[in-house]
Amino acid sequence: MMLRHFFIIALPCAALVACATASPPRELVDARTAYQQAEAGAAAKYVPADLHVARESLDTAEKSFHDDATSQDTIDNAYIAQLKAQRAEALGEAAKATEDKERADRELGKTQERMLSRDEARLRDTQSQLAKERDSVAKAQAETAAEHAARMAAEKKAQDAMDALAKSLAMKKDERGTVITLSGGVLFATGQSTLLAGAQTQLNQVADALKTQAEHHFLVGGHTDNQGNDRINDELSTQRANAVRDYLIVRGVSADAITAQGFGSHQPIADNHTTEGRAMNRRVEIIVDKAQ
Amino acid sequence: MLEVRSWSLVSILTIAALGCGGAPKPEARIASSEGAIRGAEEGGANAVPEATLHVKLAQEERQKALAIIKDGGDNHRAEMILARSEADADLALALARAAAAKSEAAKAQEAVDALKHKEAP
Repeated sequence: MMLRHFFIIALPCAALVACATASPPRELVDARTAYQQAEAGAAAKYVPADLHVARESLDTAEKSFHDDATSQDTIDNAYIAQLKAQRAEALGEAAKATEDKERADRELGKTQERMLSRDEARLRDTQSQLAKERDSVAKAQAETAAEHAARMAAEKKAQDAMDALAKSLAMKKDERGTVITLSGGVLFATGQSTLLAGAQTQLNQVADALKTQAEHHFLVGGHTDNQGNDRINDELSTQRANAVRDYLIVRGVSADAITAQGFGSHQPIADNHTTEGRAMNRRVEIIVDKAQ
Repeated sequence: MLEVRSWSLVSILTIAALGCGGAPKPEARIASSEGAIRGAEEGGANAVPEATLHVKLAQEERQKALAIIKDGGDNHRAEMILARSEADADLALALARAAAAKSEAAKAQEAVDALKHKEAP
């Protein structure tokens, strides 16, 4: 009787202990690990429904293990639970990667917009700079054109003045430049260096013409015939040249542009043996040098 | 006496029928495992090494289960193997999706990095 009671109590206890202490199969251990890994990863956030399916599958495997620790069903259920956990993890990673891509695409768009704005700003700056340079060039061209026109006008005015002078005075061109010859008899009394009143008309014409000759230098040269001695002739020719220069300055010709020199009788232009020749040699020449 | 005999005959035939057929043929699982494998293949699993392995496992398991059914074996066992096959195929598809999504994300990030490098003065 005692022995019978022992078996009634001991056998179920032994079965319970055996079940409770049986080692789980490798597949179940792997399934538990896989689920923990999935739960700790992206699956919980991105694919909770799939993670739940994996949990249910693991529960099925655990129940199977509890019911029959060594059965093939336990191994199969554990294997399936492991794969479902891995699937949840993979789907979580896929969802996270998709989110990362969307974030990168947004960042790409913002960066492109930022670069576009920067490029547009640079383009505007360049266009503005170009417009300024165009204005500057146009202004310079206009100034150059104006200067050219002014120069042409000045040259024409100067030429007109010289042409007008040529109609009333003796003028010629040689290697020294344009030579305006004024008769000494018209400008000075014999042996004097004071301008005659009648000389002013001619000298005024000359002054007006010279004032138009910008960028030229003028040399007023005094000349005599060979009557008398050279010292007196040299001195007289110098005084006459100075008188003419001073008058021209008074009439507005730049003092910096005009010099005077007496040549005495050393540069005759006609025969001193005749009355006409000597009259021609008594002269004042104004030489307008060649343009620089 | 005749009633007892008749009852015994019916009981014997019923037990024999149950013992012979066991679980019914897992038609639904046969179809779903096939669909899962096809889905994995069409989802690009064969282009991802790790996913390819699971596709192969799924195919082998399915063939094994079909052979058991064909030979009149244990339908329950066949269904469990088909469930493994389906799980392998599902995992293969998930791995393929993850690989594709990661690749796309990496490309997008590379594009951002390249553009930012270009943006830097």
